[in-house]
Amino acid sequence: MKYAFYPGCVSKGACPELYQSVMAVYPKLGITLEELTEAACTGAGCLQEKDQLLGDTLNARTLAMAEHKGLPIMTICSTCQGVFAQANKRLNDDPDYLAEINKMLAPEGLKYKGTTVVKHFLWVLLEDLEEKAWKDKIVKPLKTLRAAPFYGCYLQRPSEALGFDEHPERQTSLEQVIAATGAEVVDFAGKDRCCGLPILTINEPNSMAMVHKHTTDAKTLGADVMVTPCPLCHLNLDGLQHTAASRHNTTIDMPILHFPQLLGLAMGLDSKSLGLKRNIMSPKAALEKVGVAL
Amino acid sequence: MQHDVLIVGAGLAGMRAAYEANAEGANVALITKVYPVRSHSNAAQGGINAALTDRGDAWEEHAFETVKGSDYLGDQDSITLLSQDAGPEIIALENMGVIFSRNDDGRLGTRRFGGQKKARTFFVSDFTGQAILHVLFEQILKTNIPTYNEWFVTSLVIEDGQCYGVVAMEMETGNVQFIQAKSVIIAAGGLGRVYEPSTNALICTGDGMGLAYQAGAPLMDMEMVQYHPTTLKANGLLISEAVRGEGGHLYNSKGERFMEKYAPNMLELASRDVVSRSEQTEINEGRGINGCVHLDCRHLGEKFIKERLSQVWEEAHTFSNVDMTKEPLPIRPGMHYQMGGVKTDNNGRCWDIGGGGWGGVRGLFAAGEAACVSVHGGNRLGANSLLDTVVYGKRSGLAASAFAKGTPSKDIPSSIISKDDNMIKSLLSRKDNKDSVAAIRLEMGTMMNEHLAVYRDQKGMETALTKIRSLRERWKEVPVRNKGRIFNTTLINAMELGFMLDCAEAIIVGALFRKESRGAHVRLDFPERDDENWLKHILTYQQPGADPKIETLAVRMTQWEPKPRVY
Amino acid sequence: MEKTIRIKRFDPESKNPQAYHQEFKVEVEESSSVLDALITIRESIDESLAVRCSCRGAICGSCGLRVNGQGTLACKTKINSLRGSNGTITVEPMGNMAVVKDLVTDMRPFWEKIRQVTPWLQTTGDAPTAEYLAPPDAMTHLNPVMGCIMCGVCVSDCTALEVDPTFVGPAALAKAYRFVADPRDAATNQRLRDLDEPTGMWDCTRCMVCVEVCPKGVAPMDRIMALRSKGMNSGLTDTYGARHSMGFIEVVRDKGILDEVMLTIKTLGLFNISRFMGLLPVAIRSLLHGKLPKPGPFHKPLPGMHNIRRIVDTTEKMK
Repeated sequence: MKYAFYPGCVSKGACPELYQSVMAVYPKLGITLEELTEAACTGAGCLQEKDQLLGDTLNARTLAMAEHKGLPIMTICSTCQGVFAQANKRLNDDPDYLAEINKMLAPEGLKYKGTTVVKHFLWVLLEDLEEKAWKDKIVKPLKTLRAAPFYGCYLQRPSEALGFDEHPERQTSLEQVIAATGAEVVDFAGKDRCCGLPILTINEPNSMAMVHKHTTDAKTLGADVMVTPCPLCHLNLDGLQHTAASRHNTTIDMPILHFPQLLGLAMGLDSKSLGLKRNIMSPKAALEKVGVAL
Repeated sequence: MQHDVLIVGAGLAGMRAAYEANAEGANVALITKVYPVRSHSNAAQGGINAALTDRGDAWEEHAFETVKGSDYLGDQDSITLLSQDAGPEIIALENMGVIFSRNDDGRLGTRRFGGQKKARTFFVSDFTGQAILHVLFEQILKTNIPTYNEWFVTSLVIEDGQCYGVVAMEMETGNVQFIQAKSVIIAAGGLGRVYEPSTNALICTGDGMGLAYQAGAPLMDMEMVQYHPTTLKANGLLISEAVRGEGGHLYNSKGERFMEKYAPNMLELASRDVVSRSEQTEINEGRGINGCVHLDCRHLGEKFIKERLSQVWEEAHTFSNVDMTKEPLPIRPGMHYQMGGVKTDNNGRCWDIGGGGWGGVRGLFAAGEAACVSVHGGNRLGANSLLDTVVYGKRSGLAASAFAKGTPSKDIPSSIISKDDNMIKSLLSRKDNKDSVAAIRLEMGTMMNEHLAVYRDQKGMETALTKIRSLRERWKEVPVRNKGRIFNTTLINAMELGFMLDCAEAIIVGALFRKESRGAHVRLDFPERDDENWLKHILTYQQPGADPKIETLAVRMTQWEPKPRVY
Repeated sequence: MEKTIRIKRFDPESKNPQAYHQEFKVEVEESSSVLDALITIRESIDESLAVRCSCRGAICGSCGLRVNGQGTLACKTKINSLRGSNGTITVEPMGNMAVVKDLVTDMRPFWEKIRQVTPWLQTTGDAPTAEYLAPPDAMTHLNPVMGCIMCGVCVSDCTALEVDPTFVGPAALAKAYRFVADPRDAATNQRLRDLDEPTGMWDCTRCMVCVEVCPKGVAPMDRIMALRSKGMNSGLTDTYGARHSMGFIEVVRDKGILDEVMLTIKTLGLFNISRFMGLLPVAIRSLLHGKLPKPGPFHKPLPGMHNIRRIVDTTEKMK
C-alpha cells in the first residue's frame, strides 16, 4: 500500500518524536509513504473559526494534490484527520461549494474531484493491512503494561464525518491496537474528552484542569502510560503536565506515549529510535516494566 | 405566596394569558407540573390559521369553514372573534420573535390545512407549536413573570362560590402549599391519556378540567373527542396534517386514493373527523394494511420534504423506520384532541355573567384545550388550536387581570391545605393490594379507545360507563408503593388518574346523552345529525356522591344557518 | 426480547443517600426506546424509579439522560440501535448537574444560564404592524437552531463544563446565536460584547461533544464558532481567543504550516511578561528534551508558499 503522507505541523514541530517513531515503524509494515511536502496546515479547526472557506480551500488543495497522485492520504494526527474528514464531507455534500473552491485552486493547476480517502495511521492498520501484516510484527508483546487510551476529539467526533456508521471499528481503533500490542487496556471515561490544548492560551486554568483530571483519572485506574494518536493532545498532556500538577499542588508523573511509540516498542524497536527520550514525562519506569531501557 | 392572577399551566394559552395580564399591571404567576417549554403545545407541528385581507382572504371565510368544520356546534360569535383576532395575533407573535417561514418575496408563507379552501396556515417549518412556545417563554423571562416549575396543583380553593387560588405540591420536596390569587386561569391543556393510544404527551391528563369540574364548574361538549387521521401505529405519535397540506396522499391496500370516494372535492384535506372516519371504514372493510392505511408523499421530492417537513421525516424515520422520501408511511386514526372542556364565555370566564343560564365558579377562568368557549364545536380544524390558545389566552389574561383589580383580598388560613395534605398522606399509606395506577390507567385508556372512538353505539358506551365506575372504585384503594415525598411520580400519576377518571365519565355521559351524530361524535345507532333536537351544547356538572348532572345550552348563532356538510 | 437495564439510582430520602447501580431485566419490543423500557420498569417492577418524561417524541426535552455513558433523549434512543457492552444498557442521569433523585437532575443552573444571554428578541422603534420583510434564507437558516428543545443533553456532556461550572455552556450559546443571527435583532453588538467576556464564547474547547450528542441537530459548537467569527468580524479582536484565531491565519499565510512560537507570541502579545514567565518552564523542558520548536525566522516556510498566500488573500478579499 502506498500513501500520500501528511505528517501535520506538530510532528514536524513541537513533537518531533512522533515523526521519528512513525519513520521507525512504518517500513516494517510493508507500506510506502510519499510525503506531501507542499501541503499547508489543516487549520486545526482554529483557523476555521475565523474563516471556514479558507480552511476548506487549503484542505481541498491538499486533497487535490493526493488525488492527482492517485493516492489516499495517511495522517498521524487526530486533529488533522478530523479536519480533513469534515472538509471532505462539506466538499462532497455541496457541488456548488466545491466548484467555488476549485476556482481558487485553478491558478496552481489543481482541481479536486472529491475522491481522496484520508485515513489516520490507526485506521490504516485496522482497515487496509492484512491482520498478519502488522500483528505478526509484534514480537515483543507488552504484557503487564497497563495503557489508557486518549483519542483526541477529532478522531471521535463528529461520527458522521468520520464514517463511524460504515466503519464502527473506528470508534474503538485505539483500544484494538493497544490490545494487539499485548498491553492491557485501561478503559476510562476521559478517553474521548478534550485534552484542553485548544484553550491553553485562552483559559489556562480550565486547560490545566483538564490535563490534571485526565492524567489523574488514568493514574487512579492504575495506568502505567497513556497512549494517544493525537500530537496536540500529547502537547498538553505531556508538555504541560508539570504545569497542571503544580497548579493543583500535586505530582502526577503519567507518561504519555504517541501510539506509534507504543506499537514500535511491541515490535521490538529500541527507545532511542522511537524518540522516547523526547517525551517530557519520563516513561522510564513503564519501560522497565516491559524490559526496555530508556 | 400571593398573586393577582395565577395561571395553571404554562403552555401557549397560559403564557399568552400571563403576558397579557402582566402587561395590564397585574401581579401574575404561572404554575406548571413541568417546565414551561416542556408543555404539550410543543407538539403542534403544522401551523396557525389566519385569514388576512391583504392576501385576498377574509375572516368570514375562515369563520364559516370553522363553523362548518365544527358541524355547527361551535358558537358563532366566539368563532368570529377567533378569526378576526387571528391576523393581529400572528403579527404580535412575529414581533415577539417567532420566525415564521417565508415566501420568496420575503412575506410570511402559508400552507393549506384540512377543511379549508384557502392556504391560510402560517407556519414555522413543521415545528410551529414549539417555535411559538419557546418565544412565549422568552417573553416570560423578559418580563420576569415568576413560574412555579414542577408544582402539581391538587385542588382549587373555593370560598362562597369564588376561586381564591390553588393548593399545590412542589414535586422536588413533596411540600403542599396554598398559593393565593384573586383570579385563577386554568390553561392546563388536554386529556389525551384518558385514551390509549393517544397522540398526546404523558402529561396530558386532564388535570385542569378535573380541577374545575371538582370545584363546581361545568364541563361542556366532552363527548367531542377528535381522532387525528395520521398517527403512528407503533406508539400513537402524531404525524402532522401538514403532510397532507403540503400534498401527501392517502392510499388503501388496493392502491386506491380512497378519499376520492368520501370527499371528492377536498380529498385528503376534508376535515379531520371525515378523514379519520373514512380511514376507519377502509380498515374495517378489509382494505387496510395491517390495521393502517398509507400516507404517501414520495411525489413531493426529497428536498421539499426535508425542508418543509423535516421533523416529520425525522419522526417517521426514528419511530417507524420509514424514509418518507422513499416509502409510504403506515398511519391510522388516533385520539388527538378534546374539543370540549371547562365551559367559558368569550372572555374565558367560567361563570355566567350574562344570564345565559349556566352555573360556574367566580374568579375562575380557562383557556386553550382545557377550555370550551366553544370555537371548535363538534370537530376542530387543523391549525385552529394554536390560534385558540393565543386568542383566548390573551382574552382570558385581560379579563382575569381586570377581575383581580376589582376583587378585595380575602383572609384565607393556610390550614386550607390540610384536606389535600391528608389526601396525599392517605394515598401514601394505602396497603398494597396488587393493583396499580398504571394498570387502571391502561384499562381505562384501552376501553375508551374501544367504545368512545370514531364510531360509537349505546351498548358500547353503557359498557364503558359501568367499567369507568368500577375503575373509580379500584382507584379509591389503589396503592402507591413508592412512599417517598421527593419527586414521587407514582403519587403524581395517582392524582392525575383521579382527574382522568372524572373526565372519562364526563365524556361517556355526554356521549350517551347526545342521541345524534355530529362532528367527532358518530353513533351507529343514531347515524344522522339532528339539528332540531341537538343543535345544543351538553354541560356536565359533578355532583358529590351522585351521578353527574346534565344540562343543555343553545348554540349561539349569528349568520351561518346549518347546512349539510359536504367536502 | 429480554434486556438488562442497569440504572444509576439515588434516593435522597434513604437512610444512607448514596448513588448505586441496580439491574432490571425487562421485556421490550423490537421497536422499543430506552424510555419505553424505563416506563415499563416504573410501571411494573419498581414504582420508585424517578425519571422525567412527557411527549415520547423528542420534542418536549424532558427525558435527557445518559445511555451507555453518552447524553441522549431516552425516547429517541432505540434499544436495538445500541452497540456493544454485552447487551446490558447502562442508564444514568445527565452529567454536569446535581442529581435530585435517580434520573432526575437539578435543571435550575441550566435555566439560569439561558437567562444570562438575554434570550429574547430586542428591537428598536415601534412594533411593526406587518411582518418583517426578509428573504426566506435570511430566516430559515435559523430553523435548525430554533429546533433546540432545551433538553440539557449538550450541557450534560460538555467537556468545558466538566472543569468549569461557570462556563455559560453550549445550550445558552446556541440560544444567543439565534438572536445574534436574527436580522430583526437590534442588540447584536452588545450581545457579542457580552459573549466576548470570560465564561462566554471563548471558553468552548471545540471538542464537538455537543454536536455529537444533540438529539435535534442544533450543532451548538458550530453556532459558537459562528459567534466567534461574527465577533471578530465586528471588531472584537482583543481577547486571547480572537488573537489566537487571527494569529493562526497570519502564521499560515506566513509559513504555510504552524509556527507554535510565533502563534503563542501573537496570541499572548509580545509584552505579556506574566504569561510568558508561566510558559518559561515549559519551554525550558522542551529545550532540554531537544524539541523546542524553531521560532520565527528559523522556522522555514513551506515550498510553494505563494500558492497558499494567494488562497489566504483571495478568501480574505471575498468577505
